[in-house]
Amino acid sequence: MRVSMATVYSYIQRNLQNLSEELSKINLSISSGKKYSSISDNPVEVGALLGLTTSSDQVAQYKRNLNTAQDWLATTESTLSNVGEIVKSCTATAEQMATGTYNASQRIAAAQSIQQLLEEIMQGGNANYNGQYILSGYKIDTQPFVEGAFTIQTPVMKLQTGSTGTATSGGAYVGTTTKTYVVEIVQGGATGVATFHYSEDGGQTWSDPPVATGAAVAVGTDGVTATFGGTWVEGDRFSIPVYKPITYQGDDNTLEIGIGRNSRLEVNKVGSDVLGGTGGSTDIFEILAQLKSALEANDAMEAGASLENLKTYQDQLNATLAGLGAALNRVTVKNEVYDTLQQSLTDNIAEKGDTDLVEAANALAAKELAYQAALASSTQVMSLSLLDYMTS
Amino acid sequence: MSGISSVLDIAAQAMAAEQVGVEVTSHNIANVNTPGYSRQKVNYVTAYPETSPWGPMGRGVRIYNIERSFDRFIQASLDGKTATLWEYQAKQSEMERVATIFNETEDDALNTLLSEFWAAWHDLADNPQGAAERQALIGQAESLCDAFSSRAEQLVQERQSITQEIGPILEEINTRAARIAELTGQIQESEVGTQVNNDLRDKRQNEITELEKLVGVSYYTTGDGTVNVTLPNGRPLVTGIDSWTLEYTIDVNDEIDVTWHGPGGTVDHISDSLTGGKLSGLIQVRDTIIPQYQSDLDNLAKEFIGAVNSQHSQGVGLELFTSVTGTYAVDDPTDPLNATDLPFGAEITAGTFQIFVDRDGAPQSNATIAVDPTDTLDDLVIAINTSAVGADVTASVVDNQLRIVANAGTDTFGFAADTSNVLMALGINTFFNGDSAYTFEVNSTVSNSPNMIAAGQIDTATGEHPVGDNQNALALSDLENTAVVTVGTDTLTVAEAYRRLVADIGLEAEQNATQAQFFQDQVDQYQAMRDDVSGVSLDEELTNLIKYQRAYQAAARLVTVADEMFQTLLNTKQ
Repeated sequence: MRVSMATVYSYIQRNLQNLSEELSKINLSISSGKKYSSISDNPVEVGALLGLTTSSDQVAQYKRNLNTAQDWLATTESTLSNVGEIVKSCTATAEQMATGTYNASQRIAAAQSIQQLLEEIMQGGNANYNGQYILSGYKIDTQPFVEGAFTIQTPVMKLQTGSTGTATSGGAYVGTTTKTYVVEIVQGGATGVATFHYSEDGGQTWSDPPVATGAAVAVGTDGVTATFGGTWVEGDRFSIPVYKPITYQGDDNTLEIGIGRNSRLEVNKVGSDVLGGTGGSTDIFEILAQLKSALEANDAMEAGASLENLKTYQDQLNATLAGLGAALNRVTVKNEVYDTLQQSLTDNIAEKGDTDLVEAANALAAKELAYQAALASSTQVMSLSLLDYMTS
Repeated sequence: MSGISSVLDIAAQAMAAEQVGVEVTSHNIANVNTPGYSRQKVNYVTAYPETSPWGPMGRGVRIYNIERSFDRFIQASLDGKTATLWEYQAKQSEMERVATIFNETEDDALNTLLSEFWAAWHDLADNPQGAAERQALIGQAESLCDAFSSRAEQLVQERQSITQEIGPILEEINTRAARIAELTGQIQESEVGTQVNNDLRDKRQNEITELEKLVGVSYYTTGDGTVNVTLPNGRPLVTGIDSWTLEYTIDVNDEIDVTWHGPGGTVDHISDSLTGGKLSGLIQVRDTIIPQYQSDLDNLAKEFIGAVNSQHSQGVGLELFTSVTGTYAVDDPTDPLNATDLPFGAEITAGTFQIFVDRDGAPQSNATIAVDPTDTLDDLVIAINTSAVGADVTASVVDNQLRIVANAGTDTFGFAADTSNVLMALGINTFFNGDSAYTFEVNSTVSNSPNMIAAGQIDTATGEHPVGDNQNALALSDLENTAVVTVGTDTLTVAEAYRRLVADIGLEAEQNATQAQFFQDQVDQYQAMRDDVSGVSLDEELTNLIKYQRAYQAAARLVTVADEMFQTLLNTKQ
């Protein structure tokens, strides 16, 4: 085969060019630390890398969401467990006072401490996280529990056997403190005939003289009235509590946070469910207000009834706290899962996308050697010429 | 007649012939690096013998002709491969540039921006009333829009830069075609009998090879030394000493329309039939490959916009509207909504949406509006104005867009539970604006007032919309993992669809690079084969040089011998 000059030189050029291109590619991958510098280097691997990066970014975001969830749950949990402690001490007080060994003034003192604890629960329930009320549902800008105006409550009846007396409360309260009026029938008989007196201190002192029963008869001097009906028996009693009821201002939605693909976690509790403010037998505010009134009325029986409600409430609260604990645990577990996942994703990304330095250094050395060999042999070939052997 | 003078005669002719050999050798050496040059050699023949008493007697050497070493079959193969190589090389270099636009191996890639966009929705869901989260979301969304529109813009620029290359290429093709025709004329004039004008033929062949780099052509040489060059669809580019021209225009579809202008004013559109050469590669990239990516990217952007807007329009922000104007206009408010060129008109289905009006921040009135895709915009306006909120808000058509305004300064209004997609299609209460990658932007309503980002939803039972509601933000962040983009027969998530587009571009670039490399190797092989035949080898020429020199010396020696013979003869008389 003839070998022309063009062939010899173009081969040398091409081979050197190819080798130096490969050298520069290896060099680039070492200096940048990345295996690929363009999507055309390896479209399939680059596509897979993009997918891995997206997953990794998502996991990082879910971890951030978990942090938020954890903060919410922890704040909710600590708020509610504080409430639990307060409820426990209320229960202890109620248990003490339900026994007959205490007198009216002791019970009134206990009523004052219950009132303070009630206010503490309300303050606790108005806790916020980052300026957002945690128990208001979606209305995180609205304080969940507020005290209303003084309200004259429905009478709590304590009738003697054979009494058909009925009473309703009315009027507009103009007093400034919470109190409970105890009304006692001094002389039995039909309404209008029967007379009563009342006490503002649980029966320690009574109004005098007795007043005839009737419609809208004033009880006390602060605007409370009672409307009597039926036939009364001497010794019939009823009490009219006056206090500021606490109402719930939030809504009944719970905040959810995304903690995974199609996975959401409830991070707060609806205030009206876990504390109250809407009435009913599991409304801690109403239970405590009733307990307080019963104590003010020096009514051990009613205090005992409140004790039952408190215990039921305590059970419900414990169940809620257990649920929060489980959710917090789920957050911890999920966090660990994501840590592991992110580690493996990072490893995977590094394996696919990062330069293997040992491998690259070896390849670089090999190419370098090949390049040097090519240079040496090219020089040899280029220096061969018949001219060197021709003498003029 | 034989004799001493005959020896002299033979010697003189031999000297002249060997001198020609040296001349041709020096011509070869001189052109060792000339592209397209075919080495030449002198063909010697014996001179016609002379009759003599001893039978026909040799009369020395004659030069038959000077021949170039040329294998037209190898050359034809080389030219064919060269055309293909240049086509792939053109595609490769353009595709590398396109791949650079979508280089996702760098930081700040679109894929990353997409993740950050969804992450911003997650952050908003974590803190739905946070001003910082809202501002961050707007920032992320704007970066994402920029990333989409800048890629669309760069694709357009890429096409424009290719357009600018087309003109010069056609000009070069026309020049080379004319040169081929001109050379053919010169060859015809200069050749007589078996004598061939080697250098002009090499030059012409070289022009053809250069032409193949620009556009794939086929050619054949006729017996009389003329060459005909034809385009892939059979239209002649050069016929003998005539050449024809190519021109281009941009047609109505924004595609390159290459026209052939033949004899007698004949015009033919040849864009579709072109194969091989840089021209064909460039036209393919410009009019087939890039438009495909443009439409893929636009489709991706459109479906992304649609999905986000459809969810966003279900919600409310921290503030409600005092007035709102749709971002998408209909052609004619008396045409059915699904047939009036709304970008998302096809998404409208029979359904309902609700309008809630607040007075001083408290629920005032609400209405459920029924929508059918065949309703007109005017119908919709009437439906709103005659509904239960008709006393509190007024709907109208302004510049073919739906506009709703609260009647009283104390009133604001919001939307909920749109099952008809009509709000999204009209651009009411949307997050994004536009319907392609190029027009992709954040709706100015939300970018001017981040409190309008709909993280929550109106409680359809009570009409309330508490600030802590994150339902809509959660639903929007869920879109990250929802398959919303239709690519071919598959439905993919936005990130997956984008990844597929990137992989498609990368594969196309890689494939063209591989093909270019393959044909480069082929061309190199054929080039080596051609050079084996036609290339100059200096060692060979030097050997020939010595060969001719020695023969010349020997012939000169013959003159001396003949002279001596004459001397000897003349001396015999003394």
